[in-house]
This record gives sequence, structure tokens and C-alpha cells, in this order.
Amino acid sequence: MFNLSELQHDALVEIFNIGVGHAAKSMSEIVNEEVTMSVPSISFLNRADAAEMLGNKESSRVCGVSQHYEGAFKTEAILMFPEDKSLDIVRLMVGESVPLKELTEMEQEAMSEIGNIILNSCVGTLANIFAQELSGSLPQYHVGTSEEILSATGANASTVVLMLHIDFILEKHQIHGYVAFVLDLTALHDLQEQVDRYLAKVMGPA
Amino acid sequence: MNETKTVLVVDDSRVSRLMARQFILSKKPSWVVEEAATGEEAIEKVKTLSPVLILIDVNMPGMGGLAAAEQLRLACPTTHISLVTANVQNATRNRANELGIGFMEKPITETRVHALLGALD
Amino acid sequence: MTHSETHRLGMLDSVLGAINLGTIVLDHERRIVVWNDWMRMHSGFAPDAVLGQDFFALFPELAGKRIDGAVQQALRDNFPSVLSQTLHKAPLALFASPAARDSGERMQQAVAVTPLEVAGLPRHCLIQIADVSVAVTRERLLRDQALELRSQTFSDGLTGIANRRHFDVAMEKEVRRAKRAGSPLSLLMIDIDSFKAYNDHYGHQQGDDTLIKVAHALAAMLQRPLDLIARYGGEEFAVILPELDGEHSVMLAEKMRVQIEDLAIPHVQAAGNDRVTVSIGASTHSGSELADIAALLGAADKALYQAKRGGRNRVERHQEA
Repeated sequence: MFNLSELQHDALVEIFNIGVGHAAKSMSEIVNEEVTMSVPSISFLNRADAAEMLGNKESSRVCGVSQHYEGAFKTEAILMFPEDKSLDIVRLMVGESVPLKELTEMEQEAMSEIGNIILNSCVGTLANIFAQELSGSLPQYHVGTSEEILSATGANASTVVLMLHIDFILEKHQIHGYVAFVLDLTALHDLQEQVDRYLAKVMGPA
Repeated sequence: MNETKTVLVVDDSRVSRLMARQFILSKKPSWVVEEAATGEEAIEKVKTLSPVLILIDVNMPGMGGLAAAEQLRLACPTTHISLVTANVQNATRNRANELGIGFMEKPITETRVHALLGALD
Repeated sequence: MTHSETHRLGMLDSVLGAINLGTIVLDHERRIVVWNDWMRMHSGFAPDAVLGQDFFALFPELAGKRIDGAVQQALRDNFPSVLSQTLHKAPLALFASPAARDSGERMQQAVAVTPLEVAGLPRHCLIQIADVSVAVTRERLLRDQALELRSQTFSDGLTGIANRRHFDVAMEKEVRRAKRAGSPLSLLMIDIDSFKAYNDHYGHQQGDDTLIKVAHALAAMLQRPLDLIARYGGEEFAVILPELDGEHSVMLAEKMRVQIEDLAIPHVQAAGNDRVTVSIGASTHSGSELADIAALLGAADKALYQAKRGGRNRVERHQEA
């Protein structure tokens, strides 16, 4: 499996923490409440393990929002919440309670926007810090098992999933979610190169 | 200015601390940069240090940056303390103002750090 | 320019004027360079009043809000953003009609902010605004109807209390819960005495009225939120009492029996009485692993039978098998 040095790992975790920090700020402005988000850890997994981590039992459905990015590197980014946490965020932000089955198109749109905010923030921060040019797509909403969603967004046997654990805190509710980046070998290589370049800059002249 | 002053950088990310260190030393090469990875560590360190500036990350495990900053403000009444965060919210901003603590947005830039250092002179 | 190109430009201009969508284009310094007719109509601002101006100077209340960040992301990062109508009902001051403007009722909007490549110029930003007020109202209506429907399929049409289906679902849930928690679960089967005779004598209309009266009287006696009364059959009711032991369930059953008796509904054809009464069979599951729904129901049934045999208008209890 793909391995990073401690410093490379630290750099990525820090960059994503900045990304979700910005996203939290945007979301707090929407709900007029304090919103905190952080990325306590990241891991690199193959598709099967990624699906497993998200809970791949037949009965457990997951709600996901994906966006496609390309340019300096190519990836499919997906924000996902396990079934029992799905839409808790929407409900908290909208202030209503509707079970997953009865999710109306409008609440799907709310979830799409939340995904849009978080994913753009993560990838945007990455692109800015690495000084790279990218373009992104509009959010797409998915419901299904984690396996289905990962496949639908291009994860296959030869791709690696960079998984971010996300902690989302609003009104004293703490919700755990994930952001998955589907990366092929080229993208993975690009990522590692960018991290090294960034570290060299950070360490300063030796 | 060739005198030696001390800056304490508090952040659980080593890369973040390295970056701050680099920005500080590029403007003040004779200064000393001390590091702490948690709020608790920072509080311990200021018992023996007298930093002119403390940069402290808000998002840290343990007691967190805001709680630590409150205690650091008590321990070092004349030190300039700056909260560093990617999530600048009104609640935090107000609390910082109450404590007489500054604010810096993440990602930190060399320009902003230099400006802060310049203001200390 | 060729003849067709001139026409094309004019045609595209007409399209922009005709489409049923708000269209704004900002240049790289966030100045308005396109403001279509839809925008004029619904914002009250004519193009020459806004063209060339900083969008956020014109609408300062939007500065620092989601749309500000979205414009920034489009221009700087080349990423598109959506503002859903669920999270932002009406971010811009747009109105469906002059009347709506007067009453201050904003139009509900769905907004998309996307980067726009313009040949030879730095990146621009396109803002599209759709009026979703109709969709929002329709959504709300559908949701209300769905809620209504849901409550109907679980309630008995005549009496309004839970129906058999609801009982079955609840029973399964409560038995499982009782087993897991090792807590008791009690069941009451309540049957109106000589009800066929009542219907024959007083007519089905009055029979229905009495059913309703009895159902409501029984339901009113349930205090705890988890207790459930359901119409189990024609003149039969079942009451689920989670976490209540045998002794207390019998006490409650007795209170219920008295309550119905006290309604004093005349029943000249009642066997051995002059008013409407009920017989109640009670059973209790003590929380052990062995008992199940069938056993609990069977025991309550047996108890009910005993109550009938014993003279009606009484409560009997049967231990689980």
C-alpha cells in the first residue's frame, strides 16, 4: 500500500484541516451557529477496504456527494456519511427531521450544497497551497451502499482511495463523516510530488 | 536589531510549526523559536520562557488553543498572543478580543507574519 | 463580420432576454457585465443602473455571505458552487411581482455560481438564478400529504386509535425490546360484552358510536408514552404495556373495566347486565428468553375466555405458558 513519511502525512493532514476549517466557517455563516470541523486522521486504502470502513453491510446505505476535479491532477472527491448519520447534518442545518427514505429532492440539494462547500474547500486549499490550476464539476448526489458509490465514482481495483476522517460539530452534536479522494497511480504520484515540493519550501533553505 | 527575542509557536502539526519557524527566522534571524505541540505543553514552557510573541493554533487535541490562550494570557500579561485558525468565527473572534488576543488566518503567510513581527518592534 | 454572425449575436442577446432564468456575469474584479431582462424584472434594477459596478458594492448585505465565497471560488479557484433553496431561501432581493415587492415577500431562489472562460480576458463568473417558489410550495404540500397518509395507514378508520397493523409492528418491537432489556411486557385483550346483541338491538350506527366511545375512554387511561391501544378486531381491543409487570397490568385493567362500566351506556340485551361492559384478559411476559408474541397473545386470549366464562365484566389473568 501507498506509504507516506511522517512529515508528508503531517503536511497533508494540516492542509486538509485548513480546508475543512474554511468550510466550517462558510457553514457557520449559513446557520448562524458555531460550526467546527477537523480532520483527525487520513489513510490510504484500496477500494474494498474503503467500502469496509464506510460500513458495507447490505442494509447500510450511505449518502454521498461527489465532485470531479481535473487539471494539474485528476480525482473524484466524495463526501460521505454512514446511514445512521446521513442527513443529520442537513437536519441540523435545516432544523427539520425527515427520515432518509422520505428525503425530498430539496433536502438532497441541501446535502449537495454541503458537499459542494466541503469538497471545494478541501481541494481548493490543496490547489492553492500547491499553486496548481484545477477545474471542478457541480456536485452530484448519490445514495447507495458505500461499495456502489465508490464504484460509481470510478474507484476500481487499481485505484487508491485517500480517506479523510471528518469530525463535524454543530450545536454540540458531533458527527463523523468521510471525504474520499479516488486517485489513480498518476494522481497519487502527482500528489506525493506536490507534497515534497511543499515541504521543501516549508523547511526553507537547508 | 540584533538582540535575541523568543517566539513560542504552538501547533500540533509539525509542518505548521516548521513553516512558522521559517517565516519568523527569515525576518528575525537572531531570534529564538520555541515549539510546543499542545496547549498543555505551551503552558509548561512559558514557566521558563519569556516570549515576546506566541502563535497558537486553535484546532489542537487536548485543551485546545482557545483554552490554552486564556491561561497563557494570564501567565504572560505583556506577551503578544495571536490565535491562528482556518475557521475564523465571530464567537472565537469576540472571545479573543475580550482576552486581548490577536488573530491570524490559516494558511499563514510570510507577509502576515513579517507584518506582525514588524509591529512588535 | 458575416451576415449570419451579426444575426447570431443579436439572436443570442434575444435569448438572454427571453430565458426564464436570472443571468448575471461578473468580470474578474466582480463588476457586473451582464444583467439580463429577468434580473431587471425581478430585482427592480435596470441594466444601465448596475452595469460596470461592483456586485458587492451594489448589494452590500451579500458581502461575506455564501455567495461572496462562491464568486471568489469561481474566479480564483475555477470551481462551481450551488446555493440550495433549502439552506438559502432567498439570498438576493428578488420578487415574483410588484405586489410581492410591496409586501416584501421574496422569491425563493436556487443559485448556481460557475466560472466562465472568456477568450482573451481573465476569468469571469456566471451567476444563474432560478425561481423555485412553486417547487417549494409543491414540496411542502407533498410532504404534508405524505405525513397525513402515513398516519392514516396506521390508524383505525372508525375510532382513530391504532389499527391491527400498527399493533403487529409495535408488538414485535416491544417483545424484542423486553427480551433485550430483560424487562416485563404486559398485554391486555379487551372485548366488549354481548356486542353482537348490541348491534342487533340498537343498530350498527349506534354500535359504531359505542365502539368509538369505548375506544376513546380506554385510550384516555393510558398515561405512559410507550403504552399502545389498538383495535384488534371488530369489537376487540389490545393494549400493549411495556415495562409493566403482571400485578400492575391487572390493576390498570381493573381501572379500565370500571371506567367503561361508569360510562353507563344502556344495553338492554346485555347478558347479566343493563349497560355496556368489557371483559379483559391479561398476560405478562417476564423478560425471559423463552416467551414470544404468540405465547403472550395466546395467554391473554385464554384469560379473556376465562373472563367471559366467569360471567363477563371482569378481569382475568393468565400466566405465560
